[in-house]
Amino acid sequence: MSTRLLAAPTAEQQLLLDTSERFIEDTLPVSKVREIAEGAPGPDGAYFETAGSLGWFGLLVDEAHGGGSASDNGLLDAAAVAAERGARLQPGPFVGTNVVASALSRAGAPFGKLLARLIAGQARATWVAGAARGLTPGAGEITARAETGGYVLDGEVRHVQEVADCEALLVTARGPAGLLQAVVATDAPGIEVRPLDGIDITRRTGAVRLDGARVGADAVVGAPGSDTEALFDRQAQIAAVLVCAEAVGTLHRDFELALEHAKVRIAFGRPIGSFQAIKHLLADTSLTLEMAKGLVAAAAEALGADAANGGELAHAAKAFVGERGIDVTHACFQVFGGIGYTWEHDHHLYMRRLAADAVAFGAPQWHRARLADRIGVA
Amino acid sequence: MAGTANTPEVPAAGSAEVTAAAPAEVQTEVQTEVPVAPAPPDGETPERFRARARAWLAANLEPANPSARGFRESAVSDVAPERALHRRLFDAGFAGITWPREYGGQGLGPEYERAFAEEARAYRLPDFGIVGGTTFRVCAPTMLAHGSPAFLRRHIPRILAGQELVVQFFSEPDAGSDLAGVRTQAVREDGRWVLNGSKIWSSGAYYADYGLCLARTDWDVPKHRGLTWFAVPVGASGVTVRRIRQINGGSQFCQEFFDDVALTDDDIVGEVNNGWTVAQTMLIFERGGGIGPGGGSSAPKGIAADLVELARSVGRLDDPAVRDEIVGVHVNDVARRALVARLGGLMRADPASAAHVASYAKLAMGTYDPLRANAALRIGGADAVSWPVGEEGRTAAAFLDGRFMAIAGGTNEMQRNGIGERVLGLPREPSFDSGRPFRDVLRDASTWTGRVPAAPPSEGRA
Ligand SMILES: Cc1cc2nc3c(=O)[nH]c(=O)nc-3n(C[C@H](O)[C@H](O)[C@H](O)COP(=O)(O)OP(=O)(O)OC[C@H]3O[C@@H](n4cnc5c(N)ncnc54)[C@H](O)[C@@H]3O)c2cc1C
Repeated sequence: MSTRLLAAPTAEQQLLLDTSERFIEDTLPVSKVREIAEGAPGPDGAYFETAGSLGWFGLLVDEAHGGGSASDNGLLDAAAVAAERGARLQPGPFVGTNVVASALSRAGAPFGKLLARLIAGQARATWVAGAARGLTPGAGEITARAETGGYVLDGEVRHVQEVADCEALLVTARGPAGLLQAVVATDAPGIEVRPLDGIDITRRTGAVRLDGARVGADAVVGAPGSDTEALFDRQAQIAAVLVCAEAVGTLHRDFELALEHAKVRIAFGRPIGSFQAIKHLLADTSLTLEMAKGLVAAAAEALGADAANGGELAHAAKAFVGERGIDVTHACFQVFGGIGYTWEHDHHLYMRRLAADAVAFGAPQWHRARLADRIGVA
Repeated sequence: MAGTANTPEVPAAGSAEVTAAAPAEVQTEVQTEVPVAPAPPDGETPERFRARARAWLAANLEPANPSARGFRESAVSDVAPERALHRRLFDAGFAGITWPREYGGQGLGPEYERAFAEEARAYRLPDFGIVGGTTFRVCAPTMLAHGSPAFLRRHIPRILAGQELVVQFFSEPDAGSDLAGVRTQAVREDGRWVLNGSKIWSSGAYYADYGLCLARTDWDVPKHRGLTWFAVPVGASGVTVRRIRQINGGSQFCQEFFDDVALTDDDIVGEVNNGWTVAQTMLIFERGGGIGPGGGSSAPKGIAADLVELARSVGRLDDPAVRDEIVGVHVNDVARRALVARLGGLMRADPASAAHVASYAKLAMGTYDPLRANAALRIGGADAVSWPVGEEGRTAAAFLDGRFMAIAGGTNEMQRNGIGERVLGLPREPSFDSGRPFRDVLRDASTWTGRVPAAPPSEGRA
């Protein structure tokens, strides 16, 4: 079942993955996720604290701020964990919390307390970007007005993945001096988080409304303007890599189920997987899956190591996985036959999630446009 | 003559002249002259090896010319300088770096080979065109895995010295994907073997020295069990090579006719009638089972530079649709490169899986090369499909050449079968031929209907 995002994990990475997989199987296997999808409450605080103790939320954080990774590339470690999570449809803002933790770690000291809670799994956070820089067109935008000692934030952003039980949000806003990012607490005055319904019933998506919400200058992350634009792009790349890693895990498991089905389902006196139409579909699908795994791992490796092509690979990964992932899950659907159209079969949980993950943190079009920006740039 | 009787007319034989095969001087040379490579200095570290290679390269080779089109298709004489260049590498101890010492190699680890490849990148290396691949990446590795020590001592040093180029005599007019269905036959007569039949699509045979040839040596057993491999001298008496004109107008691949070609036991690779075992090794190399572990090819920088250049040259670089097309290609390009890196990692972690996962690399080429070529044609637009007389239609040529890997070296469908059955573990299709004497299979094939005697009444919900 292991997704094996990393072709050759180190012993330390393998340990992280083994403990993560065991933790998930013990506490929140897909059967329980299904219960959540059908209305049971989501994972409780203990789930996140155990996850924190496994290291899930400190992988992108400097050791100086209490973080730590299994290898010398925390993003690669995080991507590998994300894939195992995705294979088991784990809910919760793993991507969001890691993106925020990474941003706060770079910003340093003022956010130490929140960072410590995030790392420990005592608090969750996510990034609210909306349509800023075109990331999620139509999702709404936040504006920031300067006042003495800080800013006033207004606006609404929809389609925020896993925002439901976040304690803190990293909000991107259009400010007087250009793009600005600030940390806000979800229980502060003027902030409202409301749930949205959505295709992905294994995650909880919501809308964030800021109505005259005040933040102090000390809540601002990075210098407004072009600095923040650069931070934004990097956040988008990290988020892309992690959400792709989750999606690749989801694809892996969906494919595994289809493959098992092809071996046991009998038609015309033999397993359907012996028919070339099915066999070749699965072969092509597994090629796409192997390419997706390779690309996501390469992107995580390069971006995590601050290599020059890290951002480019991250955008390519989101474009590839976002688009081709839908093809893969449809191929799986085709192999299942009628059973795949039922609520009882798990396939739709995977398919739904892949549809939503394709859009989260920038749809493929946005990431392709970022690559188009680089055309002709040597 | 079993094979030639079934040989269809060679398609588009327009320019296909019958050539006197390979350079005569090589063929008539006495086989006993076996070149000797210098031994590597005792206990040389990869670093010192690299330094030695660097110095030697600087002193002996010309810088690479990136705009040179490389050896494609030329007169046989054009290969001579390439052979000489390979000989210089051999004499300096830089040929067959990882190959066994006793057969003229250097017996060093892959890290030495990598070091040399990195150092040598900036220099003009011998270019045998497609035959470089068939010789050094498919045929010789297969020989090393299955040839007798005497065979290897005879051939491998000469291969490494650039004296023997080896092509693949696998496919036949009536057997391609079904390699085990070959009909070229070798018959034992008076202590020798007599070869008759025909091979086809053999890339580069007109400038090669040997063909690694799969032949039937027993017709009365199931097809996989009556096969034997021979190293056939291209210039041997009774071998006729005819170049075939290709889709792109060139004539690199060939058909050979064997008329009572005399061979000996010394020419056999592996064991008589056990050729399928050898074939399985060969197929791994052909698929690129050798990829990965070495790796190290540096990724080109930027976004699909060739297509950007193409778009600029036709004045369409600002067209958003064209830009998006370029990005689409770039995304697939990086995914393919990442795939190869991943496969390398998987192979290193589990060498036993190498044979099968290599099919992914092959299928990726076979499916994405044509897509890329199609995209280039769209970007080039009208300028890509017609051009001033005398100019070169590069995009059009690439459009045609882009099909190559979808068929050559095992079709996409065969790769899918391999992935489905050997990687994913799906059941094989019913086989109608593998359990019966090959002679009977051939007799019955053309009247095959797939119906078992008592046919079922219905065919399902068609
Ligand atoms: C450019 C080029 C270079 C080549 N170089 C060489 C060379 O150097 N040496 C050499 O020996 N050969 C060479 N070949 C031959 C090549 O290996 C064969 O063409 C190839 O294996 C296909 O065989 P075939 O042409 O007989 O097609 P066929 O086997 O007749 O196939 C025709 C079609 O049927 C499909 N098909 C066949 N069997 C199955 C099956 N079981 N399941 C599903 N589909 C099936 C194929 O996929 C294909 O689509 C070369 C070919 C090309 C195009």
